[in-house]
Amino acid sequence: MTMKALTAVAAVMAAMSIPAMSIPAIAQDNKAEVIHWWTSGGESAAVKVFADQFGKAGGAWVDSAVAGGVNARTAAINRTIAGNPPAAMQFNTGKQFDELVEGGLLTDIDAVATANNWKANLPQALIDATTRQGKMFAAPVNIHGQNWLFYNKELLAKVGAKEPRNWDEAIEALDKIKASGAIPLAFSGAKNWERLLFNAVLVDKGGPAIWSAFWAKRDPAVLKSPELRKAADTYKKLKDYTDPGASSRVWNDATGLVIQGKAGMQIMGDWAKGEFSAAGKAPEKDYGCVILASGSHGFIFGGDVFAFPKLKDANAAKAQALLAKTMLDPAAQIEFSLKKGSLPARLDVDASRLDACAQKGMKYVLDKNQQLPSDVMLAPPAVWGAIEDVISQFWNTAMTSEQFIDKLAVAFKQNQ
Amino acid sequence: MSGAAAMQTMSPPGDAGGPRSARPVRMTPARWGLYAFLAITAAFFLLPLWVMVVTSLKTMNEIRLGAIIAPPLAPTLEAWAKAWSSACTGLACDGIRVGFWNSVKILVPSVFISILVGSMTGYALSFWRVPGANVLFTAMMIVAFIPYQVFIYPLVRVFAFIGLGQSIATIVIVHTIFGLPTMTLLFRNYFSSLPIELFKAARIDGASFYQIFFRIMMPMATPMIVVAVILQVTGIWNDFILGLVFAGRENLPMTVQLNNIVASVQGEREYNVDMAATMLTALLPLVVYFGSGRWFVRGIAAGAVKG
Amino acid sequence: MASPRMSSRASAYSALLPAFIVLAVVYIGSTVWTMWMSLTGSRMLPNNNFVGLRNYEILFSNDRWITSVHNLAFFGVLFVAISLALGFLLAVAIDQKVRSEDSWRSVYLYPYSMSFVVTGLVWQWLLNPTLGIQKLVRDMGFETFTFDWIAHAETVLYCLVIAGVWHAAGLVMAIMLAGLRGVDEDIWKAARVDGLPTWRVYASVVTPMLGASFATAGVLLSTSVVRLYDLSVAMTRGGPGIASEVPAKFVMDHLFERANISLATAAATSMLITVIAVVAPYMYWRTRVAARGRA
Repeated sequence: MTMKALTAVAAVMAAMSIPAMSIPAIAQDNKAEVIHWWTSGGESAAVKVFADQFGKAGGAWVDSAVAGGVNARTAAINRTIAGNPPAAMQFNTGKQFDELVEGGLLTDIDAVATANNWKANLPQALIDATTRQGKMFAAPVNIHGQNWLFYNKELLAKVGAKEPRNWDEAIEALDKIKASGAIPLAFSGAKNWERLLFNAVLVDKGGPAIWSAFWAKRDPAVLKSPELRKAADTYKKLKDYTDPGASSRVWNDATGLVIQGKAGMQIMGDWAKGEFSAAGKAPEKDYGCVILASGSHGFIFGGDVFAFPKLKDANAAKAQALLAKTMLDPAAQIEFSLKKGSLPARLDVDASRLDACAQKGMKYVLDKNQQLPSDVMLAPPAVWGAIEDVISQFWNTAMTSEQFIDKLAVAFKQNQ
Repeated sequence: MSGAAAMQTMSPPGDAGGPRSARPVRMTPARWGLYAFLAITAAFFLLPLWVMVVTSLKTMNEIRLGAIIAPPLAPTLEAWAKAWSSACTGLACDGIRVGFWNSVKILVPSVFISILVGSMTGYALSFWRVPGANVLFTAMMIVAFIPYQVFIYPLVRVFAFIGLGQSIATIVIVHTIFGLPTMTLLFRNYFSSLPIELFKAARIDGASFYQIFFRIMMPMATPMIVVAVILQVTGIWNDFILGLVFAGRENLPMTVQLNNIVASVQGEREYNVDMAATMLTALLPLVVYFGSGRWFVRGIAAGAVKG
Repeated sequence: MASPRMSSRASAYSALLPAFIVLAVVYIGSTVWTMWMSLTGSRMLPNNNFVGLRNYEILFSNDRWITSVHNLAFFGVLFVAISLALGFLLAVAIDQKVRSEDSWRSVYLYPYSMSFVVTGLVWQWLLNPTLGIQKLVRDMGFETFTFDWIAHAETVLYCLVIAGVWHAAGLVMAIMLAGLRGVDEDIWKAARVDGLPTWRVYASVVTPMLGASFATAGVLLSTSVVRLYDLSVAMTRGGPGIASEVPAKFVMDHLFERANISLATAAATSMLITVIAVVAPYMYWRTRVAARGRA
């Protein structure tokens, strides 16, 4: 009896350990498995634009969605290492896929880019962000503005504040909102949003030169500049305009406060428009959007790209090329942007159907002087991560601006 | 204080009372105290569930008002329906039901095999003196403390090397590996607490290693098997990252869909759907907890000793 | 007599074979790999550029890591002690022939079934001073009531303890209950014959017999403390600032999001060495005691 039980168990275990035959059939003609992290209702509608377009062009989109960029990238990278990569994987525009290029794991799409004249129609910063060793290794599909100020129009009018153009004016408005009893600055305490807010201040107070010295070169000299000092002081001052609930709140709820008129304004990327739309609020009517930049050049933009792992099958490579081409098709670009709330990566598209805030954003993107690549485009994850920790400590403790700058110096040095 | 007093009076000495007597227990003041303790603790445990339930029954407009504890003005089950069958989880908008059977397919063999291997290891380590056993147990206890995510990359490489791709078999092996230290600990400690005479008597009767294990030890370990099932069902059912990396895209567990509903970083949030999806996903472990109750009975050990 | 003994030993080895294989291939292999990685300059993908102890220098000059380690000790002591105490009391209470035992047990155990992604958010709401318990009590007319632990670096860890105990106490209860139900019926009968009050039986007879259950629960809780990650992510995201950061979150963030494998593995190796320093002498001592007991 015992032996029988054991034999049964052994049989089960043996059956289990035979490599399953369920190897995803992505190596067929026109199928392309895509790993991405767009899963909410609005994001899903946007993905559908790409999938449909790809289908029309004769491809078959095999969807592998995993919410949370970190999760999606972990799955994609581990599958690539295990020798079972997807046809395409999403990254944030930036340095996240550098080592995959260096490891020879990605296929370049330079031929597709040349054939479809991408280089003439994409912002230079996006071309730079996707080009390695002289070849394009990823398809940039959208642009997300990261330093938008969203505000409740009714509340600002009620307290007698106009739309601010820079942080000095914003602070005047914040004072007025504070006096009215509402929460001046809706905030959600998390390291990434603390960094995002710091960036919004740094751009206004420092301008492009300081921005690039800080994030791209991480030049110790920038830490001694009066601009950085001013940015640090202003940033710290903003803490006084947040409420006690800020540290334990997610960004969606902070946007909710602005929607409700319980708070005046919020700094967030343009994805926040999704929350406004879900609550039935219209841009530039119920809520305003503006970039705070004294020097009139400071639109921080990031976005998403798709990279294409090397596949053994020649047909699969064709499907990859087709996928890259359709994602940057002008019609797909504009439809995708409408659904996602982002801006098209291509500049040669008809922007007239975009929402009022996106049209404002388009003006910044079309102006070369306004384009500021985001921190994650300029610094590797390990580096911006270390700096983010310092920013977060500064925001949340009694640390002075001097101490903050000293700590930044250490982080710069450790990550040279 | 009152707790001790409560226990003293709840089953009067001399009476055939005590925890397991057949006679119904009278409601004395001390017994009221006992129920008060249980009720107050239950209130603490249930508060988050209350918030989840009421939130799942509200519309998003009502949720935005921010009264998280208030009952819904006009309760609706829409969010539950949406979470189950129409919430977007990527290109598809089919709710969390998609991965349910995959999760079951992963769960059943993983729980069975990990408990079998763990209990056998624990048994061999408790009654048998095997050279190297202490080193093995110590190593397992040490590994139990390490965040297992560190091992993902080397495991991926090992599996790729031996030609084991992503499949149900792979994920079952992975769950067995990561469950091994805990399961071993559970059973080793339990078996060690059993009287050694039991084991010696069986040996004198000529029972073999596996006979003692299957005929004597496992029946006696029923309450501990229940605990092991609770631990493994919960851990494996709620696992997300291992399933994502090792199961293969045909076999992704339900938690991947759950994560896709609740954890989009830049997407708009629907809290009512998030709550409903979370509770729906937790249903299976809850059923197991509730159903396992009848195994939490006394007297198995005593019966086995006599028999 | 010799031959069945031999075959039994072979059987014992066969039972331990899977464990030995896992030990050799996975645990030792992965651990050696982890330690080696911590000495390299690996970022997103592993490489073999030896950099000596540089990652450890960075690690131990990193405020976030130091805070994480302190937090772990503070959280761990409170969490384990409270969970053990509450779980034990609940098990004893439920063991008193209460009505509808299944329901009570399920109430205490259900938190364990739920993923922290959303329950962490619910706790965040409940503890948020502008949304949760503080607002509720103030709305009832107690204008000065304050419960804003989650908003302050000095108190945020108590919030993690609250949610952690909520999550884990039910499991402790189940383990204790399994232990209590394993106590021989004869012991209760003997105690009753002696006329001992029930609480005395629990205090001086039953509890000492639950040593193995306490050890099991204690070790399980301790491992969950060291591996604590989800709770901090879902409830406080390590904040305010770095006030509720924990070592496992440091490892995970650097392993994945920050693509800094070498720093992550340096942190993991430090955790490993600390655990070895605590567990190995303890196990050695246990073995010695056990050996003496047998002799």
